Amino acid sequence: MYYWHWVKNVVHRPKTTGYPTALDDTVQHMSRSGAIVVDAPLEQPFFKRSVALRQVDGGSCNGCESELSLLSSPDYDLSRYGFSFVPSPKHADVLVVTGVITRALAPVIRTVYDQMTAPKRVVAVGACAIDGWVFQGAPDVLGRLDDIVPVTVRIHGCPPTPGDLLRGLLAAVDGADPASLAPRGVRA
Amino acid sequence: MPSSTTTVDSNRQRLSDYPQWLQVWQRAREGEYETVILSASDDMLSVVLMHRQTGAVYSLDWSRSFQQKPLGPPPSALGILETLSAEHELARQWPRWGWRSGRRPPVRGKGLFIYPLGPVRADVAESLLYQLTVMGDDIVHVQLENGFKRRHIRELAVSRTVSSAYSLVSVFTTTSNVHHSLAMAQAVEDAWEVDIGPGAAVTRTLVAELERAASHLGDLAAIAVSTGLTVAQMEFLHLKETILRINDQLFGHRYSRHTVIPGGINTELWPRQADLVQIRQIVTNVLTEVATIARDLENTTSFLDRLHGAGTVPAQAVAAIRPVGPVGRAAGLAMDVRQVHPYADYPHHNLHIPVLSSGDSYARFRIRVAELTVSLKLIHEILRNWDRDAIRVQSDKLTRFDESRPRRRTGIGLVEAPRGLLAYQIHFSPDTGRIAQLHVATPSQRNWAVYPVTMANGNILQDFPIVDASFSLSVAGWDG
Repeated sequence: MYYWHWVKNVVHRPKTTGYPTALDDTVQHMSRSGAIVVDAPLEQPFFKRSVALRQVDGGSCNGCESELSLLSSPDYDLSRYGFSFVPSPKHADVLVVTGVITRALAPVIRTVYDQMTAPKRVVAVGACAIDGWVFQGAPDVLGRLDDIVPVTVRIHGCPPTPGDLLRGLLAAVDGADPASLAPRGVRA
Repeated sequence: MPSSTTTVDSNRQRLSDYPQWLQVWQRAREGEYETVILSASDDMLSVVLMHRQTGAVYSLDWSRSFQQKPLGPPPSALGILETLSAEHELARQWPRWGWRSGRRPPVRGKGLFIYPLGPVRADVAESLLYQLTVMGDDIVHVQLENGFKRRHIRELAVSRTVSSAYSLVSVFTTTSNVHHSLAMAQAVEDAWEVDIGPGAAVTRTLVAELERAASHLGDLAAIAVSTGLTVAQMEFLHLKETILRINDQLFGHRYSRHTVIPGGINTELWPRQADLVQIRQIVTNVLTEVATIARDLENTTSFLDRLHGAGTVPAQAVAAIRPVGPVGRAAGLAMDVRQVHPYADYPHHNLHIPVLSSGDSYARFRIRVAELTVSLKLIHEILRNWDRDAIRVQSDKLTRFDESRPRRRTGIGLVEAPRGLLAYQIHFSPDTGRIAQLHVATPSQRNWAVYPVTMANGNILQDFPIVDASFSLSVAGWDG
């Protein structure tokens, strides 16, 4: 049924961007230069590749979810770096949290974090998870993921673009934003 | 051009007797009126109704004269179930009314198991707790528990200025943020009696249709992967990304946030170098691709087998809850705000809105494909004559509403969001021009009420992801 896709994909260049490890003007144009904030230099980089992600929604507007689900699209293809989303926290290495942190979901996030086996890292996705964004001071909104679990990497943006999400996830593994390093030119 | 500003004040009826108010509402509903919003303040219950053919908007109020005794039956007791979630919300906020928002008792019996799912579930998903009661593989009862994500947007907006409340509304649900902004803009323009001019109207239609296209493409990807067809999912996701990149090129944000503002269009974020001819070509390519993928899916028996007859909305639920958007139109309810109550530039376009009657997952898939095609064609048509420099003149600063006073105390905005009828009713304080009350009726709020009865309608556990994907509702839009 889908043979025409195969033929088409042989003729055309792949849709997948090389960003952030290679240059791509279109994706780079959408991303923000200072989007990735790594808290402290990571000690031993425990992770090499094959990193399992577990996403938890802490009260988002579903924008971050929309962008995270686009990471598996052919345009970004997070599996080329060895990332994958897993259903169980017990299989996960990196906890990805989106949204303002509501009072009802704070214990849920804490439980998920406790269920993960060490070494583990936490990525705060989007302005809401970092500081509550426009919901600062709202009832039932805690607003800071830092108060619940130790955060390794913060990805700014509302919502962060998939390119920035990839940068942030790689930063959680390597300890440095790949866009700040010289492009390795793996693929033009 | 039928103006989007509808005079509600002139069609307002105020009743003093609560049972009488309920009866009038029920009669209007059995006639030709669609219930849009149920809202309340300290001493008043109000329901906004819209005529299904003419689009006339009508408000029915009941003023409470501070008697302390409980009101009487809630609207849902009379079979008015469209506003079920609004009724629960009001029961929570005003317990002294005596409405019960009690949970339905769990189903008990030999061999029944409750399968809890959530709030952490699946790959990338929003937080919601499903309690699936199963007998073997059969789903016999479903109970949803929401409220984990409650951000209290309606309460936070109170006593804010228009520009300050706008920043909250634009993060209500990001995948339909354009429509939330648009509905709020219409409500504000209704109260201030502002005319936005044709240039801004055309641009609003363009932004709205781009959002609908992106949303439907994401939903189709979810339907495809729920049956295990990852090739089709990847193709749809690629097309969604293509549309989001067009948004970024044209309006400077992937979800066109802050493009539609009360009073017109915000041009501050616009990069000027977008090549419209090239974008039109891309839209044409997307249209062809969608047709090809949809045709291939229609020829895949493993896909059709899973969708046909799965998640049929029961006829009683269609009549009592009247689902909106693609879910409603797949179940035979031909209601589309773009036709009934046209806003922005829709009066100038003759839209073909598809309607199917079977109400199953396959019908919802077909409706989405057809609507996507209509949207993409409309985008292509608008881009042909779209003059971005003309709109620059029409645009205006958002803060002008903070400095002036509204002409009317109440404004209403109705739009057809990607998931269905979205309504905003805003009461302003006449002295300060600030927001006194914000009432929002989202399509997800209403359609989640149809979801449990649909899921427990002869489906098995393996149908769950398919029915879930074919509804593709947002939890953020429900919790608010």
